[in-house]
Amino acid sequence: MSPVRVAAAAFGVAFGFLISWGQFTDPDRIRDMLLLEDPYLYLMMFSAIAVAFGGTWLLRRTRARALLTGEPLSLDRSKPERRHVVGAALFGLGWAISDSCPAPVAGQLAQGVFWSLFTIAGIVLGIVVFLRRQERATRRAAEEAQTPDSPVASVATG
Amino acid sequence: MAETLLDRPAWYVLGPLIGLVVVGLLATINERFGVLGGYSNLVERVTGRSPTVGWKGWLLFGVLGGALLFRLLAGAPTVADGYGWLTRTFTGSGEIVVGLLLLVAGALIGFGAKTAGGCTSGNGLGACSAGSTAGFVATATFMGTAIAATFVLQALT
Repeated sequence: MSPVRVAAAAFGVAFGFLISWGQFTDPDRIRDMLLLEDPYLYLMMFSAIAVAFGGTWLLRRTRARALLTGEPLSLDRSKPERRHVVGAALFGLGWAISDSCPAPVAGQLAQGVFWSLFTIAGIVLGIVVFLRRQERATRRAAEEAQTPDSPVASVATG
Repeated sequence: MAETLLDRPAWYVLGPLIGLVVVGLLATINERFGVLGGYSNLVERVTGRSPTVGWKGWLLFGVLGGALLFRLLAGAPTVADGYGWLTRTFTGSGEIVVGLLLLVAGALIGFGAKTAGGCTSGNGLGACSAGSTAGFVATATFMGTAIAATFVLQALT
């Protein structure tokens, strides 16, 4: 296994341990947060972002390179698009129903929560539907580009 | 040890530790933290869309391993029996509804997070800490939607 994969697995172990300790695996804890009855998760999340933001800023300022790959650090600076809002709204709805999300549901599985199997099956289903839709859209765009009358082809051929 | 693990640590201990994990991944392998990508990587591997299990898949294996390690060291589960509001609302033969609702919720999570380019960890932790405007917009949207939907669900049940 490559060092990059070993490092990813090690950071995953730390993350899985910490979210389990914070009891994010318990759906009642998440529900209390979403009903604004327990500030713990918000405080934890904001402090996590603050530390990660500060650390990232420091790495950029010192022009640090990644320890294992030697690459200059690249940061996701995407601008908001419609998909960010639509996708996040669907995700939020699923989060509210299940009181869980991809990392905590893996923690639930580790704790032997039978019901987590249904959520995981749903996540897999959602990903498969997304990938198929994406592949269909790519195929359609390629077909349209090959059709001589299509506007894309006309533009492409000048 | 076990007693310490059965209680949540203070938020100002846990939050910064999780922040260090996020920035640690970036500093080590130059990648944005996010767990949904692990599920996607495994789905793509199993369906032949991807030739290998990459770092994202291994991150997810790690999350599962870390949670197992926690459970072993804690010596007892930290999740109550049943499944929150769902098994309190739908009992007996109605439990089939719990399974269906979790399946639907999971599908919304998987499809929604893939569309938005990240889940709670990917957009909420990874993208926000990189200062991505899209990450902030996605995080505000899923937080707002989840809070509103939870109040609606509570009013209905």
